[in-house]
Amino acid sequence: MEICNSYSSSSVDSTNPSPSEYSVNLSLSLTFPSTSPQRARKQDWPPIKPRLRDTLKGRRRLLQRDYDTCLFVKVYMEGVPIGRKLDLSTFSGYESLLENLSHMFNTSIICGNHRDRKHHVLTYQDTDGDWMMVGDIPWEMFLETVRRLKITKPERC
Amino acid sequence: MNYFPDEVIEHIFDFIASHKDRNSISLVSKSWHKIERCSRKRVFIGNCYAINPERLIERFPSLRSLTLKGKPHFADFNLVPHEWGGFVHPWIVALAKARVGLEELRLKRMVVSDESLELLSRSFASFKSLVLVSCEGFTTDGLASVAANCRHLCELDLQENEIEDHRGQWLNCFPESSTALTSLNFSCLKGETNLAALERLVARSPNLESLKVNRAVPLDALTRLLSCAPQLVDLGVGSYENEPDQESFVKLMDAIKKCTSLRSLSGFSEVAPLCLTAFYPICQNLTSLNLSYAAEIQGNHLIRFIQFCKRLQRLWILDSIGDKGLEVVASTCKELQELRVFPSDLHDEEDNDTAVTEIGLVAISAGCPKLHSILYFCKQMTNAALITVAKNCPNFIRFRLCILEPNKPDHTTSQSLDEGFGAIVQACKGLRRLSVSGLLTDKVFLYIGMYAEQLEMLSIAFAGDTDKGMLYVLNGCKKMRKLEIRDSPFGNAALLADVDKYRTMRSLWMSSCEVTLGGCKRLARNAPWLNVEIINENENNDLMMERNEEDEREKVDRLYLYRTVVGARKDAPPCVTIL
Repeated sequence: MEICNSYSSSSVDSTNPSPSEYSVNLSLSLTFPSTSPQRARKQDWPPIKPRLRDTLKGRRRLLQRDYDTCLFVKVYMEGVPIGRKLDLSTFSGYESLLENLSHMFNTSIICGNHRDRKHHVLTYQDTDGDWMMVGDIPWEMFLETVRRLKITKPERC
Repeated sequence: MNYFPDEVIEHIFDFIASHKDRNSISLVSKSWHKIERCSRKRVFIGNCYAINPERLIERFPSLRSLTLKGKPHFADFNLVPHEWGGFVHPWIVALAKARVGLEELRLKRMVVSDESLELLSRSFASFKSLVLVSCEGFTTDGLASVAANCRHLCELDLQENEIEDHRGQWLNCFPESSTALTSLNFSCLKGETNLAALERLVARSPNLESLKVNRAVPLDALTRLLSCAPQLVDLGVGSYENEPDQESFVKLMDAIKKCTSLRSLSGFSEVAPLCLTAFYPICQNLTSLNLSYAAEIQGNHLIRFIQFCKRLQRLWILDSIGDKGLEVVASTCKELQELRVFPSDLHDEEDNDTAVTEIGLVAISAGCPKLHSILYFCKQMTNAALITVAKNCPNFIRFRLCILEPNKPDHTTSQSLDEGFGAIVQACKGLRRLSVSGLLTDKVFLYIGMYAEQLEMLSIAFAGDTDKGMLYVLNGCKKMRKLEIRDSPFGNAALLADVDKYRTMRSLWMSSCEVTLGGCKRLARNAPWLNVEIINENENNDLMMERNEEDEREKVDRLYLYRTVVGARKDAPPCVTIL
């Protein structure tokens, strides 16, 4: 929506000679920079420095509308068809995750390192689609790559 | 004080560092003037054409540190032709000739050549510190001569410069004996970097506190650098397009954990989000975070990181963080003093829920009691929000608001934003710098002239209705030093009303306004102590001077005027006419 204000009309003063052969470009004042082709070429709006302008132009990934700071993943217990959903961003690390899962599924669950026949083992599917043992990589890296969780029977691993 | 010997007075003056205070001292008496000028070590020159090097050296023979600024501020936004001027060479020539013991040179928006850098490196045996901000005209060859010849170099800080990268071996030119480096910033270099030379240099610089590398320094090299410089306080990271593999990531994180002194982080252009998470171990120590080039990192990653940065005092970020992200900042960063939010989408390509609005600004003002400086690019604003911000933060020193669409009114009332900005200037009694935007009438300038008593710098774009607007500012703001105006309907009446006002100001810029050639000529005639420059890229000097009276009504595309004691400069290019 273009807003007509007094400025626009005063620029087009008919008593003012505006010879077309001279360079003063009055038309710039009538259009808004984001839409004016002259302004787009001139690259002087918005007022940001060249390095930022180049950075934004060179952007490859368009930013997605991903505002959630939560990370809900599906969790399945092997042998149980109905799964649960869990927000991983509420945990500070592997310990609190395991504690919570153990409570949720009412069984003891451990990470890969201390396997024995009695306990379930937690595994996850990563961005490549592979099923991996939980606990090998740093927590922050895990949060970036985890897609879903599965609690497996001990003999499987 | 007259009964003290000169040496005692000089010793007392040593404790007075600020330029303003020293300038005041020199006005007290002839003897104080002499003592002050002979003992002055640091000089700041805000406009390199206001004075010449010979007079500078004559007055301050003991000069050690010089700061010079060249092009006007709007040169940052492509409004000033590259060849306009601001050459540092004559200054270096004069300082070298007079054998000044120069130790530090800080330049902003000046043209620097390889020849200048070579001469600099050979002329001042005690030279320690070179800081170049938004400069251009030189190549890595010039850097090589500085590296090779300045044996006591401690600081080489290159910020936002246009440097032609010859992919040479400038880092190799630091001699093996060079171990005094405290600060090295080459983040703006676009080419390859000799990693081995860089690592050797960092390894032999135990006092290195600040290191900012360019995008060519990969993750494993960064890990090695951090391992041999865990004492770093300020780090600028390069560019890492691909997600690192697990082993590299773990090694990087281990190296970062050892950098317990790290307080300031920047860089991250073209960076995969995972790389940011490697810095989790030290993020609670950070006082300064600049992610304004991290265009590839989505809002949720930024938010997750920032929620641990409880000690942040300075945050520069892109608007992809969103209003929600700013709410997280407001609840986390209680020590925040300075915030800059830059636009991430210039062409309205994206589903624009990712930008920030008045909601984010109000949240910040409510949550951060120590906030005194803000630069905020947003898509919309309201008077109510600005009034709330003014109430929450009366301590603003710098308030710069840029609504991306010019002339945009309050989106809830469709009115101008005069009242909102009026509230800001009325509440913030210490306001020194202000940028206004959105739909604004002459009224906002009435408020500014009335209330902004400490205002030194004002930026106006697409605002106002008549000459009255500009007059309110010129008549009201007694401390105004720099006034820059673009695309606003101010003309000759405002320009010429009070010529003596320009004696108290450093400079005035007016582009795409209503001033005419006749008006500028009249001003130049009445104020011979001003340089009145007309910049017109499609003309040359001769054509302009041949114009007859008819053309006096021709509107001037760009006008830049500044007070000077040395008359018209001789180095102006054809597109600049000095009246």
